[in-house]
Amino acid sequence: MSETHNALEERLVIPANVQVGSDSVLTGKDTFRRFFSELDPALTIGAHCHISGAQFALGKRASVHVGDYVFAAHLIVLAEQDISIGNCVLIGFNVVLADTDFHPIEPAARMLDAIAVSPLARGRARPPIACAPVIIEDDVWIGPNVTILKGVRVGAGAFIEPGSLVTRDVPARARVLGNPAQIIGEV
Amino acid sequence: MPLLADRRVPYDWFDGRVPDNVDIHDDAYIESAFSFEECRALAPHAVRIARGAHLYSATIFDIGERGRVEVGECSMLNGARLICDERISIGAFATISWNVMFLDSYRVPTDPLLRRALLKSVGHPRLLPFDPAAAARAITIHDNVWIGFDVCVLPGVTIGEGAVVGARSVVTEDVAPYFVVAGNPARPIRELERPSERPTP
Repeated sequence: MSETHNALEERLVIPANVQVGSDSVLTGKDTFRRFFSELDPALTIGAHCHISGAQFALGKRASVHVGDYVFAAHLIVLAEQDISIGNCVLIGFNVVLADTDFHPIEPAARMLDAIAVSPLARGRARPPIACAPVIIEDDVWIGPNVTILKGVRVGAGAFIEPGSLVTRDVPARARVLGNPAQIIGEV
Repeated sequence: MPLLADRRVPYDWFDGRVPDNVDIHDDAYIESAFSFEECRALAPHAVRIARGAHLYSATIFDIGERGRVEVGECSMLNGARLICDERISIGAFATISWNVMFLDSYRVPTDPLLRRALLKSVGHPRLLPFDPAAAARAITIHDNVWIGFDVCVLPGVTIGEGAVVGARSVVTEDVAPYFVVAGNPARPIRELERPSERPTP
């Protein structure tokens, strides 16, 4: 049996394309406020998870997978494509995982994007935005206030120190710190 | 501002009480008992908030059973999270901004195989116990320290009197008195002038 409720102890309404595994708890009032994925399933959460105060902000074609025995508090998942979290992953307070740049980097495209998201958009489509999947492998520890950006694979057993901003793959069992995150040792 | 007789905070938005082992001076201010919802400390006088200190709502005392925290005179905490399994001491005149994380412990083994074994043995991540193998190391913040927003202070760090930590820094090693540090990891960038006298509030 899985249990989902918001901060007021009412049952949290979870979208039909979300699957939550057995013995998992999902709490928070903003969890699905920005959940727009039309895939099925769009979000799968494994068994024995405790995910409190998370926000799953998924674009229309996004998918997010979370393994078993995952802990997360106040996690923000920003997915336009694919973000996956393995088994036995412990995620600290205020972590952000993003698989997208949100905006174009090139100045010409950025002005077109600014128009396309403005009140003067008049139905214009946004220019292409770079996305790349984020993969957190098994047994990873992610400290509080960490941000993991698009395209990063965090290898199994890695230890991400608090406050890190991860822009590149982290080898298995590596210990990283910094902005940008650098390898400082191994566990 | 004294607590009410039942240890509620006057005008609190949250329906909770301040634990008995949290000493808040009558001339200190806290905005909400919510700050102590994650305080599991067992020792008498485990948390001491001195006169003139002021703590706003988003300040969270996430304290394990053996933890002890003290906050000195006229110090302000505007939404820091104190993760304490041993000791976090904050001196007088501190200015601590929002989203600051103090951790005196990582709370779980750093070895991923030990961590996995621990998770499987307790059966659920919410049941993870205090782990003596995750040795806690006390954090000491001396008087008159300014810590900018989004800063992380890691286990075992001492920040010297009068120092300043720039916003979004991660402090991994001791900070000398009257130095400004910044960056991730934080590095000294400037030295400040020592005051000639110390005012009394």
